[in-house]
Amino acid sequence: MSVVGTLEGASSKPSAAGSIRRRLGPRLYGVLLIAAILLFWEVSSRLGWIVSAYWPPVTKILWAAISQLGGGDILVSLAATLRRALTGYAIGSVLGIALGILLGKSKVLRIALLPLIEIVRPIPTPAVIPPLILFLGVDDALKIFAISLATFFPVFTNTFAGVATVDDTLIQTARTFRTSWARTLLRVVLPATLPAIAAGLRTATSLALVVAVVSEMVAGSSGIGYYLVEMQYALRPDLMYAAVMYLAITGYAVNRLFLVLEARLIPWMGKT
Amino acid sequence: MRKAFMIGLAVLGFFVLSPQRATAADLEKLRVSIIPINDVAPLFVAIQNGYFRDLGLEIDTTPSAGGAAGIPGLIGGSFDIVYGNVVSVLLASQQGLDVKVIAPGTKVSARDTDTTPILVRSDSGIKNGKDLEGKSISVNTRNNVIWLYARAWIKATGGDPDKVTFKEIPFPQVEDALRQGRVDASFLVAPFSIVSRQKPGLTAIANPYSDIQLGVDVGQYITTGKLLSAKPETIKKFVAGLRKGVEWFNANPSSDALLTMISGYTKTDASILKSIALPAMPLHTDLPQVKKTMELMIENKLLPGPLDLSKIIDPIAL
Repeated sequence: MSVVGTLEGASSKPSAAGSIRRRLGPRLYGVLLIAAILLFWEVSSRLGWIVSAYWPPVTKILWAAISQLGGGDILVSLAATLRRALTGYAIGSVLGIALGILLGKSKVLRIALLPLIEIVRPIPTPAVIPPLILFLGVDDALKIFAISLATFFPVFTNTFAGVATVDDTLIQTARTFRTSWARTLLRVVLPATLPAIAAGLRTATSLALVVAVVSEMVAGSSGIGYYLVEMQYALRPDLMYAAVMYLAITGYAVNRLFLVLEARLIPWMGKT
Repeated sequence: MRKAFMIGLAVLGFFVLSPQRATAADLEKLRVSIIPINDVAPLFVAIQNGYFRDLGLEIDTTPSAGGAAGIPGLIGGSFDIVYGNVVSVLLASQQGLDVKVIAPGTKVSARDTDTTPILVRSDSGIKNGKDLEGKSISVNTRNNVIWLYARAWIKATGGDPDKVTFKEIPFPQVEDALRQGRVDASFLVAPFSIVSRQKPGLTAIANPYSDIQLGVDVGQYITTGKLLSAKPETIKKFVAGLRKGVEWFNANPSSDALLTMISGYTKTDASILKSIALPAMPLHTDLPQVKKTMELMIENKLLPGPLDLSKIIDPIAL
């Protein structure tokens, strides 16, 4: 019995270690590279290879980031930014999906609105923020408008293209059953377009975050974008980089969350 | 029973709400756009010492780090008062915007407290405007007060400003750009001009404000003509409160209380602030100085011709 037990233990252990190595193997190099870069950063700052008030050691940044967890300006700023980004994202997405489907199905609307959309689309959103201050002020209205605008275009373009590629058989089938126009849109076109919409929505998440931060940098008194500029002017690069770190974590988390939701809610994604 | 409950609720409501209501109703709110730098210290002195509250005003400061949102935000109605620089005000007025100077902000009144030098790398050999020809100088924004006096200094020291490349670099990034040779000279303000010279390698070769126009009025508090004629009393109170702040500031230079307060709104470490000589703040706008700035603007083609300064600078500022 005991012999068998040891044998089993012995045979299972290396396989477990092997599987960990197999799973980590390729990633291990990535992690090592990041660690090496951070170490180089730390040393270059500590030994004064780079003379600059804006090159703090990594450990100092990490310490600043950790000390913020006990209730600091960074998390409050991040919350303000996320609230704006989410609001603008929601507005831009709803408009993008609605107009994308409507324009995809209606020739009249297409002729009326598409030229305007195509003219506005190539304008980079950050470029219109300063002139927009005149009309929308410097508060939430301006930022949420800019975020909605940035969100709208990828969502609209993907939805519009998605509607165009809906299998005609599906539409014809709905028509055979005398399904109403609205019901066809909601029950046939929308589900078939969802994968395309989801792709647009995912592109828009990172754009929403970027435009939220940029708009706060240009005009504002709250949010992580303002905090970044404020800390540069206050000569606190450790807190500035800490804020950048939190932003990176947020961006990564949002993207992961989106992938999970996508897999859950649109299981037919990627299948035709 | 129910009646008693309602009365109880009303009494409770009175006690809970009344103190807040009293302050909210009595104080008139003014939204002021500021840049979080030393310049606006008198405003914060006046807020913290209660000078505005005593006059029935509540000041809500909105910091704008780069200062880009100031005048557009004022015209757009987001702010009642904006802290801005003299050149931007004159430019805005020339473009037909309804701006009025109501109080002075900062003034370069003495050479020893002028913390705005032109810096170069110590080994560059650049000494004057002539040496800068074919090279580059950084300013925070083109067509502003920094840009104007950099050009004036280049010309005054034998150079042709049109032969010098002006690069826009935000103040916090200037030291890095200069040390790495991405720019040959930089016109820099405090605290950056102080901090960047704490390590060797950079040298100040000039103080353009003092060299060109000692006494120049750099910063101003601005409002719109519309607000000024609609609420003259409110603006009068603001200017009175601010003046008391200036007087306190000038009476307590580099006191710990002042440095702690500046550190509070700029978030800059108090130890850095200690190394900066704070200039005395002005009580009145100096009209001849603004006129000199205007002439420099005309000379550098920022303005096509003279403006009627009496229409831009309200008598309340004088």
